Amino acid sequence: MPKIEFAELAQAVIDGNTEEARRLARAWLESGSDPLLAIEQGFARGIHRVGELWEEGEYFLPELIQGAEAMKAALETLQPRLGAARADQASKGCVVIGTVQGDLHDIGKSLVGTMLTAYGFQVYDLGSDVPIAAFVEEARLRRADIVAASALLTTTMVAQRELVRAVTAAGFEWSPKILIGGAATTPEWAAEIGAFHAENALRAVAVAESCLG
Amino acid sequence: MSDFLDRLRRGPCLLLDGGLGSELIARGLAPGTPPDLWTLERPEELTAVHRSYVQAGSDAIHANTFGSNAARLEQFGLLDRIEEINRTAVRLARESGATYVIADIGPTGEYLPPVGHGDLARWRRHFVQQAEILATTPIDAFHVETMTDVREALTALDALQEVAPSIPVLISMAFESKKKGFFTIMGDPLGPSLARLWAAGPAAVGANCGMASPQMRALAREVLSSPGGAASGAASGEGGAASGAAGNAPGSPDGALLVFQPNAGKPQMTGEGIRYAQDPAEFAEDLASLLSFPRVAALGGCCGTDPRFIAALRARLP
Repeated sequence: MPKIEFAELAQAVIDGNTEEARRLARAWLESGSDPLLAIEQGFARGIHRVGELWEEGEYFLPELIQGAEAMKAALETLQPRLGAARADQASKGCVVIGTVQGDLHDIGKSLVGTMLTAYGFQVYDLGSDVPIAAFVEEARLRRADIVAASALLTTTMVAQRELVRAVTAAGFEWSPKILIGGAATTPEWAAEIGAFHAENALRAVAVAESCLG
Repeated sequence: MSDFLDRLRRGPCLLLDGGLGSELIARGLAPGTPPDLWTLERPEELTAVHRSYVQAGSDAIHANTFGSNAARLEQFGLLDRIEEINRTAVRLARESGATYVIADIGPTGEYLPPVGHGDLARWRRHFVQQAEILATTPIDAFHVETMTDVREALTALDALQEVAPSIPVLISMAFESKKKGFFTIMGDPLGPSLARLWAAGPAAVGANCGMASPQMRALAREVLSSPGGAASGAASGEGGAASGAAGNAPGSPDGALLVFQPNAGKPQMTGEGIRYAQDPAEFAEDLASLLSFPRVAALGGCCGTDPRFIAALRARLP
């Protein structure tokens, strides 16, 4: 079997080719090579490039999502073969995500979840119209590093403040970070309520990475 | 037969209304409550908002039917009342005393793969169903608006034209300002998208939502000054999504009548609730700068604009 180049792995993600990404990931495993290397040196570079192309205005929502789907297919194939310790090393953190109660807008939140997954976070997506208590319960259950809440409507933004208060009041032994986003939100609003803010799905990845430092 | 189309073509520029959803929110529409429900349960509030726009000088009022299609109403368990909701909304708009009443046709809220699981054939049935109800009410026009996928916009237009060929259709998409120009979130470029829509035979095409008036002014000027032809636009806009490269291609809706409805800037949370940052005078100034172009047939506001914005613009119209 010819050697698989890292660039090939990256390209499958850049092309948004889910089948090719999965095929390459399997071939990589069959060749006995290190799965972590395929992720870090290959596929992850692809999703980074997808993000750049989106920010440059070359890619739009469909290409961004296709790239993330290809990345997820590769991760699903490779991660089970990492072994527990190294899977932990490969995971960037655990995120509980949802759109706040009263808000049915799903697409932005789902995109953030998809991108976080593609970048190696473990994501638990609660969907839309999620009550505060459900965020808190899931965060407790999953021992979430980040609780991420989207609000597209100005009327539902207030729930993000309540979420910050509820997570604080829950008194976890660890301190989950709160990440907010959505069309209605601003950095000023996030600062006021004591949360991290991301203006789009790519920024969400960057903010999630940096706030877990 | 309504003289709406004559007025649109002949001028002077038609003054539409401003934000409806944001006005209902200001009157207490709770988070998560669909505005359509207020058509049935708080008709007096709708009448009051519509009247406030007529008093501010709006020639045409949008009925509260933006989300009154089967795809959206089903989410709220209101599907069995779709006929009552659409009919009542038009009646309430009529009662405002507006010269013209426009039936508002919003998107399904779904997306085509790979973004979502939407389906054009199903969407078409939804638009046909809503149009069949609205076509038997006293409306002067349809306005298909806030579309982000040219394929959905064309599907809606096609459905309306089939059901009610004699009712004029305005059609607006929501664009964003990106590094390489104006695009919808799905990647549909401004000029080619509007050219494609115009080629399908609506009464006017344009843009709404997505941006405040300074950006909308820039967008409008790009449409008005673009040298390209409708034919090249129609070709480069093919496929809608994944057509990022088409952004650099020439393409504009040659000769099209145009409609623009910007937002009132970004919403801000304040101690007293939600406020939109923009000053009505700036909004009026930006839109009034477009009046020297005869093709600009209708102007109004979208999210966050209120009767003050419409009154300020009225003062600038001939």
